[in-house]
Amino acid sequence: MGVDFFIGLFLATLIVSLFTSRLYRLILWYSMNSLVLGILALLTGKALDDKAMLITGIATLLIKAVGIPYLLKNFSEKFHFVRQIQPEIKVHYAIILIPAILVFTFYLSEPITHMINGNANYVAVSISSLFLSLLLMMEHRYVAPKIIGFLSMENALFLLGITATGGMPMLVELGIFFDLLMAIVVMNLLFHKEEEHS
Amino acid sequence: MMLTLLVLPALLMFIVSFFKYEKAKYFLPISSFAILLPIIKLFMLTKPYALLGSFLVADKLDTYILLVSSLVGIGVTLALLTLDKHVKVSAKAYRRFYRFFAIFWVGLTLSILANHMGIYWIGLELATLSTVYMIKTNHTRAAHKEAWNYMIAGAIAISLVLFGIILMYASAKPILGEDAMQFDLLLLHAKEIPSPFLFEMGFAIATVGMFVKMGFFPMNLWLANIERASFYPVAALFSGILESAVVIGFFRFSQIAKEVNYAHLFGFVFVYTLLTIFIVSFLIFRAKDFMRLFSLSGVEHMALIVLFWVSGGTFAALLHFGAHAFLKPALFLSTGVLESRGKYRIAGALRGYKGKKGQLFWVLVSLFLLAIISLPPSPMFFSELYGFGAMIKTAKQSDYMLEMIGAILFLLILLSVIFYRFVAIYQSMKYEGKEEEKKVYASELFALIIFALCLAALLLPVSFVYLRSIT
Repeated sequence: MGVDFFIGLFLATLIVSLFTSRLYRLILWYSMNSLVLGILALLTGKALDDKAMLITGIATLLIKAVGIPYLLKNFSEKFHFVRQIQPEIKVHYAIILIPAILVFTFYLSEPITHMINGNANYVAVSISSLFLSLLLMMEHRYVAPKIIGFLSMENALFLLGITATGGMPMLVELGIFFDLLMAIVVMNLLFHKEEEHS
Repeated sequence: MMLTLLVLPALLMFIVSFFKYEKAKYFLPISSFAILLPIIKLFMLTKPYALLGSFLVADKLDTYILLVSSLVGIGVTLALLTLDKHVKVSAKAYRRFYRFFAIFWVGLTLSILANHMGIYWIGLELATLSTVYMIKTNHTRAAHKEAWNYMIAGAIAISLVLFGIILMYASAKPILGEDAMQFDLLLLHAKEIPSPFLFEMGFAIATVGMFVKMGFFPMNLWLANIERASFYPVAALFSGILESAVVIGFFRFSQIAKEVNYAHLFGFVFVYTLLTIFIVSFLIFRAKDFMRLFSLSGVEHMALIVLFWVSGGTFAALLHFGAHAFLKPALFLSTGVLESRGKYRIAGALRGYKGKKGQLFWVLVSLFLLAIISLPPSPMFFSELYGFGAMIKTAKQSDYMLEMIGAILFLLILLSVIFYRFVAIYQSMKYEGKEEEKKVYASELFALIIFALCLAALLLPVSFVYLRSIT
């Protein structure tokens, strides 16, 4: 029951972020999305008695829900990001497009869900989150929301890892975290250079 | 111990990149040469050789790919010594380029030697992220834009690969548990996978991610644009090393997919690569500068390697892979000199070379240009003979023989379009345009000589025997 609630919340935070037109609010929704993901990892880890997943859940909360949003806000202030980020897709089209994506992905993942033990619908939610994150990247002109779209995509993949496989090996999870931090370092460098240009 | 030796040159490079002493840059190619010692040792060891438990295992395939990539790395570091003579680059950016090059090298070593899908992905992601900054070393608006494009499109491609890996892992976890991440165990138990559809879906998604990274349909131009915007050694690294790491992943995944359902694998890859070569051949026909021309030709050759591999022509695919990995970086590194009088001046690009160094340069570049279109005795001539032979053999065994033979003929027509374009460009470079003096430096010439020697070594009987022994 708890997992059902949080997985719904995961999807909801992503959908809300698709309509957001302010950068700080978008960062906040990404943080909420990561927070829910961390709680989901903790709940699943506890249910499966999987210590590795519990550690990953804590790492998600610390790195993705707190660390990365803090860094992004910091970058935003340091490099003077544009904070008015109006999505390119108009709201009335997005209202039609988002449910269409959800229905399509549930239909698309239907043959897979029969093959996965346990919470089959969660896989469909993970795949739809992946598509919605792609939409988030596509609907914005500026770099900062595109980065959040990329980070949300990582969250969707992480959710897929939890739900479809009952957790990836610890080594892989930590590797993904490391790569994410490396991505932040590279982004920081790119923004530095952008400032030098202007 | 062996793993430490393999990673040590990259670590030394990383440390040296912090030294502000100008002569320190001469240490960088030496450190890259040092990687040859552990690789030679690795060749002598009995395979498979566990480097780090079951996570990193050296077999005949990855040892070959590691050797090829390292030789390309050595060539690139040599050419980098004279980068500032051809383009405007600050000492700080140059040092930072090397810092990320070292990280790139570590990522690639991990990817190439990985016997674990997760580690393969981590290595590939590390290599992808480190190249972002290398693109940005060129301080232009175009390079800045392309660095972001690479960051975003590369992230999507790599996410697709991870998505596919998760599905493949999920399909085999019921029988293998956490070991379902290991390539060797997956291959051994491929026929027992309880949900083959799930595995195939994962494979297809991961393959699309890898193909996008290599510039296949529908992303045919993104790599060419990035390579055009960045400094020429970056393009050499992409074509000679990064694509090697991507393609070894495809080799590993497809070996398992072949056991699951060969007909599905072949059909999917055949249609995809045919579509890619169809588009790329027309893009090559319209290419107006060296970087885009070589980049698009790289996409064509990677598509051929993939096609030969799934057709059962393992030897042809690996020979073609080796030849492409040496030829393309050699050509990309030559563009530093070829474009020294302007980016879009193809006519007369092979004229105006004086002295022994100049003469040797234009002869080598001519040979590379003719070798890339598979004129004998290029290794590509032999690989295409064997590769198309393998395709015809597969067609004969198939229920759709006539359609497949038709498709192969169509493919040959497309390749002849590319052949025609390259010959026309070569003639324009050699016989048209004004003769303007161009300078060739010893280090870049040395890099080209290394690539020429490597190509010749590929034709040795001992190389053929080794490649044939890889199954």
